[in-house]
Amino acid sequence: MTENTNIPAPLLEVKDLQVEFNTSAGNVKAVRDATFNVYPGQWVAIVGESGSGKSTSAMAALGLLPGTGHITGGSIKLEGEEISHYTPKQFEAIRGLKMGLVPQDPMSNLNPVYRIDAQIKESLIANNIDITREQRIALAEGLELTAAERAAKENVHDADDELFLGSAQREELLAAAKEAGKEIVSEEDMKFWEETWTPGSVTRWNVRHDMIQAGISDPKATEIAAKYVTGSTMADRIAGLLDEAGLPDAAMRARQYPHEYSGGMRQRALIAMGLAARPRLLIADEPTSALDVTVQKRILDHLHTLTDSLGTAVLFITHDLGLAAERAQHIVVMYKGQIVESGPSLDVLQHPQHPYTKRLVSAAPSLASKRMESTKERAEVHTKQAEAGHPENVNDTIISVKNLVREFKVPGRKELFKAVDDVSFDVKRGTTLAIVGESGSGKSTVANMVLHLLDPTKGTVTYEGQDIHSFDAKQLLDFRRHVQPVFQNPYGSLDPTYTIFRSIEEPLRIHKIGDAKSREARVRELLDMVEMPQSVMGRYPNELSGGQRQRIAVARAMALNPDVIVADEAVSALDVLVQDQVLHLLNDLQAERGLTYLFITHDLAVVRQIADEVVVMQHGKLVEHATTDEVFNNPQTQYTRDLLDAIPGGKLELGLDM
Amino acid sequence: MTSPNTPLPGQERYVAPVEETPLHAVDAIDENAPATSMWADAWRTLRKNPLFIISALVILFIAFVALFPRIFTSVDPNYCTLDYSRNLPSAGHPFGYDMQGCDIYSRVIYGTRTSLTVGIATTLLVIIFGGLIGAIAGYFGGWVDALLSRLVDIFYAVPLLLGAIVVLQMFRTSTSIWKIVLVMAMFGWVSIARIARSSVLEAKNLEFNTASTALGSTPARNLFRHIIPNALAPVLVVGTTSLASYIVLEATLSFLGLGMPSGTVSWGGDISSAQTMLRTQPMILFYPSVALAITALAFIMLGDAVRDALDPKSRTE
Repeated sequence: MTENTNIPAPLLEVKDLQVEFNTSAGNVKAVRDATFNVYPGQWVAIVGESGSGKSTSAMAALGLLPGTGHITGGSIKLEGEEISHYTPKQFEAIRGLKMGLVPQDPMSNLNPVYRIDAQIKESLIANNIDITREQRIALAEGLELTAAERAAKENVHDADDELFLGSAQREELLAAAKEAGKEIVSEEDMKFWEETWTPGSVTRWNVRHDMIQAGISDPKATEIAAKYVTGSTMADRIAGLLDEAGLPDAAMRARQYPHEYSGGMRQRALIAMGLAARPRLLIADEPTSALDVTVQKRILDHLHTLTDSLGTAVLFITHDLGLAAERAQHIVVMYKGQIVESGPSLDVLQHPQHPYTKRLVSAAPSLASKRMESTKERAEVHTKQAEAGHPENVNDTIISVKNLVREFKVPGRKELFKAVDDVSFDVKRGTTLAIVGESGSGKSTVANMVLHLLDPTKGTVTYEGQDIHSFDAKQLLDFRRHVQPVFQNPYGSLDPTYTIFRSIEEPLRIHKIGDAKSREARVRELLDMVEMPQSVMGRYPNELSGGQRQRIAVARAMALNPDVIVADEAVSALDVLVQDQVLHLLNDLQAERGLTYLFITHDLAVVRQIADEVVVMQHGKLVEHATTDEVFNNPQTQYTRDLLDAIPGGKLELGLDM
Repeated sequence: MTSPNTPLPGQERYVAPVEETPLHAVDAIDENAPATSMWADAWRTLRKNPLFIISALVILFIAFVALFPRIFTSVDPNYCTLDYSRNLPSAGHPFGYDMQGCDIYSRVIYGTRTSLTVGIATTLLVIIFGGLIGAIAGYFGGWVDALLSRLVDIFYAVPLLLGAIVVLQMFRTSTSIWKIVLVMAMFGWVSIARIARSSVLEAKNLEFNTASTALGSTPARNLFRHIIPNALAPVLVVGTTSLASYIVLEATLSFLGLGMPSGTVSWGGDISSAQTMLRTQPMILFYPSVALAITALAFIMLGDAVRDALDPKSRTE
């Protein structure tokens, strides 16, 4: 079998894995017969909805199954060694050292009472990577070696590769290197040294290699590197790790507490921790789901470069098919605990064969390129309206936002923080306007002012030509009838103590519409409208899934026959398929009833599916306002281009043969 | 040699047979599942909890005794003759007689009513008053909250027992059992107010309130229709648990001679008068103490069970 010598052995080999959870309702099989391989240096993605068993499979490999979960069958081999029966102690020995983890939620996975450096130090010490000791051993070895032996070791750079540059020696090293490279080395190379020779991250081997590349002779470079790169302190190493993870000003940042970090920075710190002990496999469990798309892109780009240079394999768990296909070579699609399809990522994406994968591919917003079909029907509605003699209803302005400013007091600061800064736009009747921006861009603040939940500092919001913030109580109540919200969090926007019936009936009650009987009929009608069985009337929200609750929220918003619906991240928390379903529902309702939507979202991919016009916001300011096609085909500002670039899988070609 | 396009072993294209993983409708609803609300769920959990079953049975029995003492004894607890002083148990008088020559069994039975009335009445008052103050403080915030919270702090600083002694001294002449209820409620509401305030604060920030406002609901409607029902659970839990402590407190006050007016049969009063004979006739002290302990324990167990049911997070697996 000489042919096979070039085929590497799999790093992680999962075969027929079975995971069960014991619950009060009996044993639940979370993973059934999962089989997949991860090869050294490879990115493998597991894709699936929540509850598909994707995280459970990865956690089983790490020995970190939550609660009552346990492996009931199959095997997990790491570097050829069976680990599925390992005791917690044995797992501890390999976790960190051989397998690293980047957890999902950067907010809850750092201990708020410790500085970042202390937490990274912990992960180094836990894996017995005592740098000072290492330094001693390496020094002793280095002294014993003769120059010839060192030369013989040229390609075997293990000891040199473990020895990091210390911050104390950096200046001397740079001086010596520049001295040696005078007249040989170009300005650019010297500048490159200054920029890249980071203490705690660059090794003796790197330094030597860089110098040889720049033109310094091998013996001279070896001598300089050996003289000045003699190992780093713990603080240097920690800063080096953070620097590798892409954190700017790492040495200073390392001394800070987690609350002083943004979400993206915390995720970088967690990546630094996961890679601290140089594991061969990094398990990244939705590492960027909580972050803005542009931050996600930067972090994943960086992680890609870093793992490539370290040769680390990554098992990447995500719900986003586009993201998976963009990042991984091999893709594993899981559905209800089983692997339904796997293979080379582009192949799976372009020629999905299992019906579930087909469904996923067709629902993935990042891969769709057109606004949803019901646009046509909507046009027909408009024509009909026009024919029926209501031409004034076509494309006139229903909501107008003029020079809107909202300032907030920031505790401990004198000057006010401008969350919304001079924003103006019009929403045309019967169309969808999407406000797009990252967290903190002020888009939700605008939505809340349009809903009259927040007063503007300056500027006006007009509905049908009237300033809504000058309304008296009666006018306001009337306004509320016409403008209804659907909120982001499907778990928070329905009162858990109310039945579905009471929740949908509430607006009718508040506005004193109909008697008990007619209200019940209306609720039934509304449930039909959102394609929910009438039997859910007696249920409570906690019995429904996120998507179902969101449909109930839509039904409640529709109860008063409003003209405008303000949807604040209404589909962001939902799985792709469910998200697709809710978006279709919203689209159909718009087509049937000529509704106007103000759609707040951070996801440009969703915008393409639903919006006619797009407003892009950044730092409270409106940076771009144009039709959806215009924004996607011809973005005017760099920020919009960055946002478009960051859509995962946006550039993948799709040949959906369905 | 493998070409770069050939997948590595174990990574070939794989498609599961469709029949193995049948597709379900997206986001289908299980129409057969039983309806559950937080309260229905809590009831289902409670029903299976032996702690709850035992405590509920005991409490039902105690309540029955309190309501219909005549079924259990035909002896008047206040009919005392010194002739029988410290007599040992005899037929019809299973616990014997105390120093005054009263039937201990009859006094224990009739004492149930006092203890239970005091406990339940105090708890109700405390929940209503403390809950309301806490809810208002939490909901309106700002200076209202600051003012009410300081008021709570002031009452919190006064030890309950000390405060009760001072106030009861002033009403020594009153013969109503309600004075003790009022006094205990006066110093007991603060802990409920604090809990109510924090749970209202939590419920206030939930999105359904914003949703409801955007539907046209007024702040007062929000408070009574959404926030209070959602903030009720922790208040009820603390209320049930503290019911036992009020029963014990009443006994303590009676023991100190500040509790029930003379003539009222109460366990605390009996324990108090039995202390003089602790060394010679400990059984006189024993019976009312046991009754008090069983009642207090039953309510504490009930409170625990209710807490477990309403707040599954606190359950220790």
